[in-house]
Amino acid sequence: MSTAQVVRTPHRVMGLYDKPMWESIDARQMRLQRCTRCGTFQYPPGPGCHGCLSMDLEWVPVSGRATILSWVVFHRQYLPAYPAPYNSIAVRLEEGPIMISNLEGEKPSGTWIGERVRLVYVTMPDGVILPRFELDRQSR
Amino acid sequence: MTSAAETKQAGAGRHPNPRLRRSAAVVGIGHSDWVRDWKRTRAGEKPTDSCGYGMEAFANALKDADIDRSMIDGLIVGPTTAYERMGELLGINPRWGDQADAVLSVLQAVMAVESGFADVVALVYGNDQRSVGTQYGGPEAMGGSAFLSYVYHAPWGLTSQGALYALTLQAYKHAHGFTERDLGEVAVAQRGWSSLNPNAIMRERITVDDYMASRYVCEPLHLFDYCLINDGGVALIIAEASIARKISSRPVYIEAAGRSDLNHGATSLEPRLTDFYLPAQQAVARQVFDMAGMGPKDMDVFQVYDSFSVHVPLALEGYGYCAVGEAGKFLRESGVGPGGKMPTNTSGGHLSETYMQGWAHQIECVRQVRGECGDRQVENCRNVHYSSDVAGKAVSIIYSR
Repeated sequence: MSTAQVVRTPHRVMGLYDKPMWESIDARQMRLQRCTRCGTFQYPPGPGCHGCLSMDLEWVPVSGRATILSWVVFHRQYLPAYPAPYNSIAVRLEEGPIMISNLEGEKPSGTWIGERVRLVYVTMPDGVILPRFELDRQSR
Repeated sequence: MTSAAETKQAGAGRHPNPRLRRSAAVVGIGHSDWVRDWKRTRAGEKPTDSCGYGMEAFANALKDADIDRSMIDGLIVGPTTAYERMGELLGINPRWGDQADAVLSVLQAVMAVESGFADVVALVYGNDQRSVGTQYGGPEAMGGSAFLSYVYHAPWGLTSQGALYALTLQAYKHAHGFTERDLGEVAVAQRGWSSLNPNAIMRERITVDDYMASRYVCEPLHLFDYCLINDGGVALIIAEASIARKISSRPVYIEAAGRSDLNHGATSLEPRLTDFYLPAQQAVARQVFDMAGMGPKDMDVFQVYDSFSVHVPLALEGYGYCAVGEAGKFLRESGVGPGGKMPTNTSGGHLSETYMQGWAHQIECVRQVRGECGDRQVENCRNVHYSSDVAGKAVSIIYSR
């Protein structure tokens, strides 16, 4: 099969500070920056801490625990890798930041808001590994 | 979440200088014939380009103001055309110039006039977004260089602007018991207005049942919650107040203006998802209503930047037209359409009149204050409040007689 036939995962913004995060995702242990001075976590990654402007940040693995803040279901296809219908969710990571992702597997029957979820790593058809979430039945 | 820097801002609690109040007035308005060009672009024609639409609008604004082009000494060009090229085509060598979006163009014109950098400022916008197929969602989503949130979440399939507002709506519904039928009232009301507006592209009235039966694009948003995408141009001429009175027998004053931004957590959508821009809107409400010495009760018409209908309930709450959490009840029981308690987006807005990225809202404000809106005219209209909340930048203007 030629590479042209593989559906590409939409472009990942890959700035100077995004790269280490995606490398940690590739290693299936997602890390985010934590400020060594004030302890603030940040997402997306950046050059310094927005909490205290310290430039001294360390990469720390996230727990993978999160709570759904909102969700949507796309009924129109915008991207080759995402035939409709598909969902996107906004989650609040236990460490503080909000992240946009997708809910894998079983879906809640009523509102999704407030559901506890946990991080899973999904390999896309072109080999890109994405951090996604599934319902966390253990911590209910 | 408030950062430490914000709580000790030097200007905390301070408002824009009251000298700005009524220091400038709109003396001319113009626009292209977007109803004609909608039909032409739908038929595959290319009536003109972005600069061409701006030129047509500017010529109409000069005619409306009944002044010669040589009087213009300031030029502000919208974000969709190059400043220099537009100035070249319009034949203007200003002593002051800039480039900005709709609402900030008006603010910049007021600041230029008040500070003496210019006396008569032309504001010109043209956009051929329909005929060139500008994408606001998908892999080529426009605006990504300015707003990281438009492109950062693409790997998870979230690129469209509609999706950002759908996420906001879902969280807002949950927080306040707001329903899809409540939101449908916005699209229905604006169609009610546009049915009375010969300049509107979509004029067929709809019901809440029609709205509920329409397809989802990004659930919970329906098709009718989305703005149109069409070609067109808009221009305004804003003059220093004493000059405005000489030029025009019916100047429309910029009574007050204010701005407040929420950048904290912007890429991951925190201000949209957790408090729906409320702190910024409330800060701006204090600025503009204090400067004008007025309140929401004094406003005869409300104009809201409505790329998506969701803006309207959030703005009704944020600016104090109803209590926080009660926009659903307000939309159902008080109403924002013809005959409603708070006439909102009386042209039909982006949803039904034309998508001129806030520019056409400015000329609707002027027309309502002048009293030249025909069948959709709000009786004895003295004050119109315009509000824009794009990507966490809350900006308001009050236009007055």
